[in-house]
Amino acid sequence: MKLARSIAVFVLAIAALMVLGAKYLAPAGYENQFRETPQAKPSSAHWLGTDDLGRDRWSRMLYGMRVSLVLAPLAALLTTFLAGFVGGIAGYCGGWTERFCKILIDLFLSVPWLFLLITVRAALPLNISPPASVAVTFALLGMLGWAASARIICTGTKDLMRSEFVWMARASGFSGIKLVRLHLLPNLRGALFAQFWISIPVFIIAEANLGALGLGVAEPLPSLGSLLRELQDAVTLRPEPWRFLPLAVLIVVISAFQVLLNKQEVRV
Amino acid sequence: MLRLIFWAALRLVAVMLLASFAGALLMRAAPGFSSDDQELNSGLSAASIEAIRQARLADANIPVFYAHYIAALMRGDLGTSRSLNQPVKQLLKERLPVTLMNLAFALAVGWLMGLALALAARTWNLRPLRFLAEGLSGTFISTPAAALALVFLVFRLPPALAAALLIFPKIYRYSDNLLQQSSDLPHVLAARARGAGPVRVMAWHVAPIAFPQVIALVGVSISIAIGVLLPIEVVSDVAGIGQLAWQSSQSRDLPLLVNLTMVVKFVTVCATLISDAAQRGLMRRAA
Repeated sequence: MKLARSIAVFVLAIAALMVLGAKYLAPAGYENQFRETPQAKPSSAHWLGTDDLGRDRWSRMLYGMRVSLVLAPLAALLTTFLAGFVGGIAGYCGGWTERFCKILIDLFLSVPWLFLLITVRAALPLNISPPASVAVTFALLGMLGWAASARIICTGTKDLMRSEFVWMARASGFSGIKLVRLHLLPNLRGALFAQFWISIPVFIIAEANLGALGLGVAEPLPSLGSLLRELQDAVTLRPEPWRFLPLAVLIVVISAFQVLLNKQEVRV
Repeated sequence: MLRLIFWAALRLVAVMLLASFAGALLMRAAPGFSSDDQELNSGLSAASIEAIRQARLADANIPVFYAHYIAALMRGDLGTSRSLNQPVKQLLKERLPVTLMNLAFALAVGWLMGLALALAARTWNLRPLRFLAEGLSGTFISTPAAALALVFLVFRLPPALAAALLIFPKIYRYSDNLLQQSSDLPHVLAARARGAGPVRVMAWHVAPIAFPQVIALVGVSISIAIGVLLPIEVVSDVAGIGQLAWQSSQSRDLPLLVNLTMVVKFVTVCATLISDAAQRGLMRRAA
């Protein structure tokens, strides 16, 4: 397992370098069109060939990784914040507030996550600018993915509220924000961090699903999900292996997250 | 027992009603709700277009729409789909069996693969077998459903198999963790020390303890399966309720989406309640 973790760290480090250095590693911009060579095969000029519009696939993959790998953690941050807020309030207040929050959580959890995400995204406008589509897609991921984490945070907060040191703090006059800041948040940090870490690969996959269905990031901006749409052409044309590279990259990156995730879960 | 069933049924109804209401609210808030594609149809008369607009406006007040919907539901009327111009009941009658068949196949294959691999890997603890199981589950847990559906389309494989492969990693990982926990219990170590073979230890000491907890995953696996079937049905052009949900969201078809949310909620909540009850029953019997 140690070897697997080392490989996972190495893979993520390489991915991070590719994301950070996309500008220098990419031979062209993600929207640059080589009109004389559309659908070109891999060559020294275009390592992964070009797409139907003559855009360099390697460049688009690098920039696509940047969009997915930078914004998925931001969406995870939003979802962790919402989970912490709702779960924390439910666990801290108890009673009717807790019951109301739990109904809200049940409501979100009883609809399959992907079903909810796709139907909600399909209901939102699709003809928006690329930056707006990025914001909508990842904000949606963040806002719809909090329920399972909130339940865990709620349980954790309730356990803490019953613990002796919190009783002692309350008996000493600590309440409200001071109790949350000094006693609850530091003790919930591990659980919150685990939820944040768990959400990242889930959101990358969810964005990929949306992208493959044409509901993700709008053209010409690439993301790992939107690059998968090219596979649809592989269905009608001949299945060229290099078209599958974004999918392979996605699987490798998510697998690396999963390997490290097991360690996080054990640690927390 | 009766009291438990009563509260479970009450919870089911409350969650279904709330969820469908939330779905209706969402559709109402969605941009473009008040417009209809048919308004652009030059073949329609002004009166027809006005009738379409009025029909849309009738749905605009969500509490009123929902009250009418519930009243009609009591009479067994699920309304009419605006985009497909067909009774929702008829659409569900046609599409639901397709999805249920795929769901049943995906769950059966996914559970069979997951459980078989977890049992085999834990029983014999062979390195190649564990490597294979971990590799397969790691690959499929990292694959987006829509992308796998596209790959399956390229190689002309059945879409339900794609759903099965996406469910299998969850079953495998959860079962494997439970079997590992059970394997470390003192009585299992004692049985091993007394010379019981790996199959005997698994069959008599490990599996019976882990099994009731594995049952808890049934409800979750159904929810996952429904979730992955939506993109698979869309990509593979399978005429199931996943594809219908997709179409209804894109065309802001309120009556259809509310009913589909109800159906999906009903299936997932029922599955969770049944698996929870089965788990409790098995645990009580084991105790």
